[in-house]
Amino acid sequence: MIKVNNLNFGYSKHQTLFKNMSFQLSAGHIYGLLGKNGAGKSSLLKNLAGLVYAKSGTLEVFGFDPAKRQPAMLEQICFIPEEFYLPAVKIDAYLKANAPFYRNFNHDYFTDLIKEFDIPVNQKLINMSYGQKKKVIIAFGLATQAKLIIMDEPTNGLDIPSKTQFRKIMASALTDDRCIIISTHQVRDLDNLIDTVIILDENNIALQASIEEITEKLSFKKVKEMDASIIYAEPSLSGFHAVMPNYHQEDSKLDMELLFNAVLKEKTKFKPYFN
Amino acid sequence: MGNIFNLNRFGFLVKRQWLDFGKVYLLTLIILIAVIFSFYCYFIPSPIENDNFDHDGNLDMRFRYGLFLLLGFLFISITSSSYFNILGQKPRAIQELMLPASTFEKFAGALFYTAILSVISYLLIFYYIDLGFVKYLNGHLNEFKMESVKQPRIKEVESIFKQVATDRNYLMYVSSFFPFPFLVMSIFLLGSVYFNRFHYIKTAISVVIFGYVTFYIIFKASTLFIGDKVLNNVMIQKEAILLWIFLVSAAITLTLWLITYIRLKEKEV
Repeated sequence: MIKVNNLNFGYSKHQTLFKNMSFQLSAGHIYGLLGKNGAGKSSLLKNLAGLVYAKSGTLEVFGFDPAKRQPAMLEQICFIPEEFYLPAVKIDAYLKANAPFYRNFNHDYFTDLIKEFDIPVNQKLINMSYGQKKKVIIAFGLATQAKLIIMDEPTNGLDIPSKTQFRKIMASALTDDRCIIISTHQVRDLDNLIDTVIILDENNIALQASIEEITEKLSFKKVKEMDASIIYAEPSLSGFHAVMPNYHQEDSKLDMELLFNAVLKEKTKFKPYFN
Repeated sequence: MGNIFNLNRFGFLVKRQWLDFGKVYLLTLIILIAVIFSFYCYFIPSPIENDNFDHDGNLDMRFRYGLFLLLGFLFISITSSSYFNILGQKPRAIQELMLPASTFEKFAGALFYTAILSVISYLLIFYYIDLGFVKYLNGHLNEFKMESVKQPRIKEVESIFKQVATDRNYLMYVSSFFPFPFLVMSIFLLGSVYFNRFHYIKTAISVVIFGYVTFYIIFKASTLFIGDKVLNNVMIQKEAILLWIFLVSAAITLTLWLITYIRLKEKEV
């Protein structure tokens, strides 16, 4: 569905954000895009959506070059940015103006989502809270039936019940022909939602692996003492939270935050496991 | 659906743009009506005042030419400058660029609102207000005292558009300068895509600088290569100059529109 080959990108001639980056994303997955501030999460998403142009390399989204911004591609992409704008109209007027651009727009599904998110339909969009606006944007994006859903920090501004609701809705929105990419720095919000982790660091992808693959190869444990097999550990009240090779095929729950810190700090140690 | 232009999708786009552009546009029209109306009320000849006639002995309506040109320039430049200003705001720019319509359709939408709708609405508003005041004046002609000996009686006032349409001289100038409003629009539309903030003022400053530089270069080049003697010997046809004015201004307008389209296509957020 998405093919990126030798992508080189930067906002100025001297500053390179991505250097020879290559990866592929396929349908039927929810990808969690993680990275430090300034690692280029939003920029990578913008490259995929055709909002910025690569210096060199090729990008393919459903076979289209995103930079050409062709309507046939755009109607298959739902991009939910971190900051967004909604006009001073009610939901009905917003729908009338925007839904016709998406041939597969599902009005019933939109109504269901709006009900589930408990959005006041008679209120003007501009007067809604940030969280409510975000829910409207998410509901609209999902109702477009786009094949690629790109979300930049979607849980920012959502309260705790809304985050739970969001996870539930996103999990149900995943279909075999749909690819969902969620970028966030709040890694715990993606717990039990994403099936593949992509970590950006130092101009490239430091890790791209499914949760299954990670937990197959690595074990996330609480240990009392450090030993040589531990790849990375963080002190906790009762010892250490540790990441170690999963030699005995033990089941463990992926600690996303720990994995993220581990990959960034011990990149070379992780390389042999995920090549 | 075609990826370059689809009439159906273009229709959706025009409707959608009305949501954003429409309200500001209508508000601008209301202000425009108020301004034209106020100027007419203030400057129109009145029986209770003296000095109501021009030097030909007709009721003095000359103020409306300046008003028409100046206000027209302001109106079309402001509407053109405000059309793409949303591209300077990141959240709105993302929404606009991600909208499933081609760049050409988005550009054509801009032309529809700036070059077609704005011009037509300005002309209609000016026409009807002018006509209203002209009819009012003609209905009260006997209240004016004849001050001039040039005219045996006070002539009926003609509407500004009738004057232009019936006078060959006017018509020749109007048709030669026809591309000028579109040239102004194309400059300010390009400015609204090119600059991220303070579009209007930045565009205006750029035009002044560019104008000065161009004028200086042309002046210096003509002095250097042609000199005084040649200029005095050349018989310049007025029609030829007017034709060149038409062709050059139309060519610059089309070029600026093309540049605007390319800038829109290459716009990054």
